[in-house]
Amino acid sequence: MLDEVAGTLVFTGERSRAGYRLNRMAMSLTDAANRAAFVADETGYLRGMGLNDTEIDMVRQRDWKAMIEAGGSIYLLIKIAGALGVPLYAVGAQTAGMTLEQFMSQRKGG
Amino acid sequence: MGRIVGGVGSSHAPSFGPVFDKGQQKDPMWAPLFDGYEPVRAWLESLRPDLFIVVYNDHANQFFFNAYPTLALGAAEIYPQADEGWGKRDLPDMPGDPAFSWHLAQSLVDDEFDPTICQEMAVDHGVLSFMPMLTNKRWVPIVPLAVNVIQQPVPTARRLYKLGSALRRAVESYPKDIRVVVMGTGGLSHQLQGPRFGFVNRDWDNEFLDRLEADPEPLTTLSHRDYMERGGTEGIEMINWLPMRSALGPTVKRVARTYHAPMITGYGLLALSPA
Repeated sequence: MLDEVAGTLVFTGERSRAGYRLNRMAMSLTDAANRAAFVADETGYLRGMGLNDTEIDMVRQRDWKAMIEAGGSIYLLIKIAGALGVPLYAVGAQTAGMTLEQFMSQRKGG
Repeated sequence: MGRIVGGVGSSHAPSFGPVFDKGQQKDPMWAPLFDGYEPVRAWLESLRPDLFIVVYNDHANQFFFNAYPTLALGAAEIYPQADEGWGKRDLPDMPGDPAFSWHLAQSLVDDEFDPTICQEMAVDHGVLSFMPMLTNKRWVPIVPLAVNVIQQPVPTARRLYKLGSALRRAVESYPKDIRVVVMGTGGLSHQLQGPRFGFVNRDWDNEFLDRLEADPEPLTTLSHRDYMERGGTEGIEMINWLPMRSALGPTVKRVARTYHAPMITGYGLLALSPA
């Protein structure tokens, strides 16, 4: 099965099962009223969507890498980031173990 | 009967639609890409198309993993824009052609492709990011065909190549004299997460464009791993260009080709005429 390519996790059925609650919560943020409710009370919203403490913590910490490892799909995680005003590059850089500034300066250098 | 009069392959991305909306096409970072779209837009207009068949992928906007279709065919009167999580762009809904969609559904199923048929369907940047550039927002009716490339298992490249031939048979068996352009969209190389975040492979993207035009068969034997190693895990979207190519028949004439990779996505645009 295609699970990992060049160190990158592939979004498999197994990951989709594991990350289902997290991804479902992220999907709810395609609704503007839900985005407002989430931003107003992150923990309350996440708990209401059935996330467990570990999952809530990942979101609160903006730990995108942990969310990917827990079965988050990047296409769903960017909806969480969008609601929070976190740019895509900051999400990607964090999953690569870098800050946004490190990523941008590396790109300029390369 | 219907006739396929052209094919277009294009990248899509959330980033470059808003660049167009803001009128920043001449921004030095983006100009090499937008300059490529203008001649293709003019060529499309000259073809007087009645319909675009758009093979694309949804990004968990219309569909979610509660029921994610492997192949989904739009059969709606109108296709509204999906809110992807950050609000909508100022774009009118796109018109559809449900009579053709149902013909296509019948023809595909007869041909052993079995899509989910959607009478309500919102489309995301997979369709709407590049469409304004190709039409100047003078919409042509679309029939969207969404292929799952975001959750494994994903259809093989060979399967999608065969899908293009089935699209051609469907168009040519349509009783009305309609002029159809087939589009395929996704990629090119990009990697949105993980240790290779930001990975772009210009050599592979250009090899893909070369082969797609002149010698597409070898692209159909590559595995998903091959595509992902060369173009990033999200770059697997490139396989959605294959149906566009096979729908045009064995030989094609190039109308235009552009490649530009300003940041973390290899953007490609290829316009082909059936020879």
